[in-house]
Amino acid sequence: MAVATKPGGGTTVHDDQEMLISGSEAVAEALTLADIDVVTAYPIRPYDTVMQAIAKKIANGKLVAEYIVAEGEHSQFEIVKHASTVGARVFCGSSGVGWMYAMEAITVTPALRVPMVALVGNRALDDPGAFGVEHNDALSVRDLGWLLVWIDTAQEALDTTLIAYRVAEDRRVFLPVAISADGAFLTHSQTITRVPPQGRVQQFLPAYNRGDLLLHPDNPITVGPQVNEDWVIEIRRQNDEATRRSYGVIEEAYADFRRVFGRGPENPWFEEYMTEDADIVLMGMGTLSLPVKVAIRNLRKQGKKVGLIRLRWFRPFPYEQLARALQHAKAIGVIDRDYSFGSPFGSGVVATEVRAALYNADHRPPLIGFICGLGGREVTLEDVSKAVDICYAAANAGRAERPTYWLGVRE
Amino acid sequence: MAHLTVEVVYRGIFQKNLAARITRGIVLSARKAGRWGIAFGRYGDSPQRNGIPAKDFAIVADTQEELEQHMARYEPKELQVTICVDDTLCKGVESWAWYGLQPINRLLDVGGHLLVTSTRSPSELLRDIHKKETPYNLWILPAKASFSGLWVFKEDHTEARILGALAKIASEFLSIDAVCAATREAEWGSELKAESARKAYERADGRRIQITEGNDEVPFSFEMPKWWEMREGLTIPAIPVGKPVEGGKGYRPERNPYFKKFTTRTMRPVVNFDTCVKCTLCWIQCPDSVFDVTPDGLYDANMDACCGCGVCEAVCPVKDCITMVNEAAFDDNQSQWEMWRQDKDAYRVWSNEKIKDKVTTVRSHGFRYRGQYEEELSKGPIEMGGTPVIQGIPGENAKAKA
Amino acid sequence: MADATTFTNDTQVLLPFKGVKKVAIEEYFTSGHRTCQGCESALVMKLMVKASGPRTIVLGSTGCMYVANTTYYTTPWVVPWMHTQLGSSGSAALGTAAGLKSLMKKGKMKSEPINVIAFCGDGGGADMGLGAISATLTHKEYNSLILLYDNESYANTDIQLSGLTPYGAHTTFSPPGAVKRIIHTRWKKNVAGMLAAGHPECRYVATVCASYAVEMMNKVRRALTIGGPTFIHSLDPCPKGWDYDPMLSHELGELAVETGIFPLYEVEDGVVKYYGKTKAIVEGRKRKPVREYLLKQGRFAHFNEEDLAYFQAKVDEMWENWDIPGVVSFRKAPADIPMPS
Repeated sequence: MAVATKPGGGTTVHDDQEMLISGSEAVAEALTLADIDVVTAYPIRPYDTVMQAIAKKIANGKLVAEYIVAEGEHSQFEIVKHASTVGARVFCGSSGVGWMYAMEAITVTPALRVPMVALVGNRALDDPGAFGVEHNDALSVRDLGWLLVWIDTAQEALDTTLIAYRVAEDRRVFLPVAISADGAFLTHSQTITRVPPQGRVQQFLPAYNRGDLLLHPDNPITVGPQVNEDWVIEIRRQNDEATRRSYGVIEEAYADFRRVFGRGPENPWFEEYMTEDADIVLMGMGTLSLPVKVAIRNLRKQGKKVGLIRLRWFRPFPYEQLARALQHAKAIGVIDRDYSFGSPFGSGVVATEVRAALYNADHRPPLIGFICGLGGREVTLEDVSKAVDICYAAANAGRAERPTYWLGVRE
Repeated sequence: MAHLTVEVVYRGIFQKNLAARITRGIVLSARKAGRWGIAFGRYGDSPQRNGIPAKDFAIVADTQEELEQHMARYEPKELQVTICVDDTLCKGVESWAWYGLQPINRLLDVGGHLLVTSTRSPSELLRDIHKKETPYNLWILPAKASFSGLWVFKEDHTEARILGALAKIASEFLSIDAVCAATREAEWGSELKAESARKAYERADGRRIQITEGNDEVPFSFEMPKWWEMREGLTIPAIPVGKPVEGGKGYRPERNPYFKKFTTRTMRPVVNFDTCVKCTLCWIQCPDSVFDVTPDGLYDANMDACCGCGVCEAVCPVKDCITMVNEAAFDDNQSQWEMWRQDKDAYRVWSNEKIKDKVTTVRSHGFRYRGQYEEELSKGPIEMGGTPVIQGIPGENAKAKA
Repeated sequence: MADATTFTNDTQVLLPFKGVKKVAIEEYFTSGHRTCQGCESALVMKLMVKASGPRTIVLGSTGCMYVANTTYYTTPWVVPWMHTQLGSSGSAALGTAAGLKSLMKKGKMKSEPINVIAFCGDGGGADMGLGAISATLTHKEYNSLILLYDNESYANTDIQLSGLTPYGAHTTFSPPGAVKRIIHTRWKKNVAGMLAAGHPECRYVATVCASYAVEMMNKVRRALTIGGPTFIHSLDPCPKGWDYDPMLSHELGELAVETGIFPLYEVEDGVVKYYGKTKAIVEGRKRKPVREYLLKQGRFAHFNEEDLAYFQAKVDEMWENWDIPGVVSFRKAPADIPMPS
């Protein structure tokens, strides 16, 4: 289905406004530009700064939307799910165990093809209670049909929110998108961010049109009838097809974003930093990119040729593109800000998926998983340096001595 | 036979416990002879609903390996014996939407056996039972349908007698001694029940049914859409709005085409249009929206939709205006109001004949009061379910009608 | 693009049906649902949307009125209907109403009053989803009706006890046994009274029974007309879970009311009004003995005389000792009714 957007007015960004805002506030700016209709809030750190920012915008008349404070995350996500089925553009979000409390609602949303956008302020899962960043909350839904994207700056938060609505609400997709922002590091830190004008956004983001799936007396339908084994696999196949189609829609969206806003990455799937001649390629998601990039610059001064692939889209997983990008590496170090107890090799989630992506490749460099930075502990320059040394050893030996390391643990 | 696969086709909830006893009894009887078996209810039937046809299965085999071979298909697609514990199921079963109407003998393999509890003769049953492309055998256990519910069971020995008859049908696999032993030992068993089993075994008799015998009707069926033909978002179209019946008058709702529900009923309401006072209560109190409103303001129970609950009879304020009659007494689903409209005298004769003989047309429909089953069984032959209680019609209007 | 200034938060004006012959003839919940014979909950569905009319969206949480109605991949609904989760009737009502309101206010959708009805069973409403219903009843700016159909068990999962199952009833979680005759000793929660008492800005709460069809439909119409979030509790005899001949469904509904076990009342803007046979009871008519109702159901067949006496005493107390009989359990004096051993 062709997307109706007017031709862009050139590639200048003179009409962007500069603001000093956090990742959460940047999302709130994007939501205002996207003219969302219904938003539900419930307090939990660290995502809920976005809901506080939205509340201010509504109170000051900057954003017109129904703002509902729910009595729990399950209701929070159910309320927007239902608002979306009658045609409202919706937003929601949570962190850590709040996201888990909503899990039933989160599970049914992609099955119902509800194109909501959610912010996950990544936070460690209880128990014990801890506010710091871990990625397991968002990753826990990776099989269910949610599109998952990780961002690392406030700018990327704003831009990706607009892209998320564009992708989610594309009729070929109609799947929910969860934008993951590292708790504290991104949700709370304030950086200079460019905020585009409303008019430009309208060129990029069409209205939400639910078509023949709209729940309204003028379109009498039954949504979600009970089924048995005669129907389930066909229904899952439909979601499979929609997820496959999302690859193309994501690429279209980023290309159109560049055209309209005059900025944005050429490659939607991941950011490549100094990978052209890298012997060792590190991988990760989210704000660990900052210490890793600084460490890489330091290591390069020492003559070590290291690069970074920062993965944005975890679902759909860009396995073909990654396999191509990794084929010249002599060793790969995947830094997981998550854990996956009992997984093959005890590796984190991202490492396990990258290994799978490389399974059919002609050249499979040694791949080592590094569990690091859990619960908000920093990924330090020393951690990165150690990881690179381990990767070099593996590259020279042609194989990894151990498949998984836990970095930074007091031992 | 190296293996025996049996299905019990029954009225959901009313005969749930009965079916479980039968299928377990088959496996436990076969165990007496050192055989292996499995008994299970069909998952798709669950949760069962009162009256909606359901199926339980029992598979027994000489060895574990043979048993596995016949368990590989979860729901058997062919079997040797179909036990039907309510003869109105002989009209065919529709267990859920898109299931279509499936003949009672559909799964029988060549020369298979259909065992039916009934007080009717084979030729009467064969007006209901659909023709089959291969021959099979029909056995009748003379008995009324045994109905209970979830919590209170009517101990009329039906399970024992079925097992006894089965010992004759599948004699290579189940001996009557094994059946009696298993019956004695079962949680629900007793020496008396073992005797009932033996009596049923001795009396059991069957006859071959040829491919020319049976009901000619082509049962309705549906073809399921492919994954890309199904609308996305778990969405299906709603049922369209209903319409007037004739000349802009009356009202007939549109109905769900994929699940008609009429095979749920064991009784149907017979309406006396002459005495109807148009109080509307049957129409409004029917949970299944069965009554078409006729152009002359009468209420015609649509026989494709009626599932036979009997609430209409209970609420009707006029004596003998609505009477529930055993479904076995009817051959088709035609509209009673149309029949009446065409020839009122003929209709009166027809309907009076249907409702007059309460003793044979009344049939078991579940629990009415504590002690009912024991009372019935104490007053009549146990093989016939005792003497059914037919003491007046429940409901607000009972006194007015009595 | 519709004109944003035409939006009002008005509801439809649904006047009461003046008797059974004036009831709307159209069916918006039609034949072909895989419910039990004599299913009073199905009757409630039929009457509910007959009362609401076609400009209605219904959200149905998991339970018999989801699974039985749409088994499999089918529907008996004429009006738009959507499944929602077991504990989500409150949030589904709120989300649907908020979505419509937002779009209409902003001119993104044509403005018209659309009925929003979310239903739940006793399990989904009084147990799991009570919190969400409570929250929705505080949002007076959104119009909706939450209807709880109470067949006194988790019926769809083959009958397990819920917070609204009567004392001692036989369910698969409370079978009478050789050592424990009564596993379920809890007394039924009083949901309608609780919600009316606890949400001072909720304008309408009512109890209904489909055996009194016209009154039931008129309560639905009142709830949809009055504005804001509203709640109705319906008692539905259930042939499967209660174990009785389906033909008795209508009579058992009447007996539940005539014995005083299930009082019929509405609370409109905080004012309690009894109606139907309950009004007669309040005005002095003698209640039928509870055993007349209980012993017609297989789920109570194991009751002994002590159980029956206990049940009677509890019902008596509710009528004789509560400040607002049958509605809310603030008492004139403490009452101690010992449970049978």
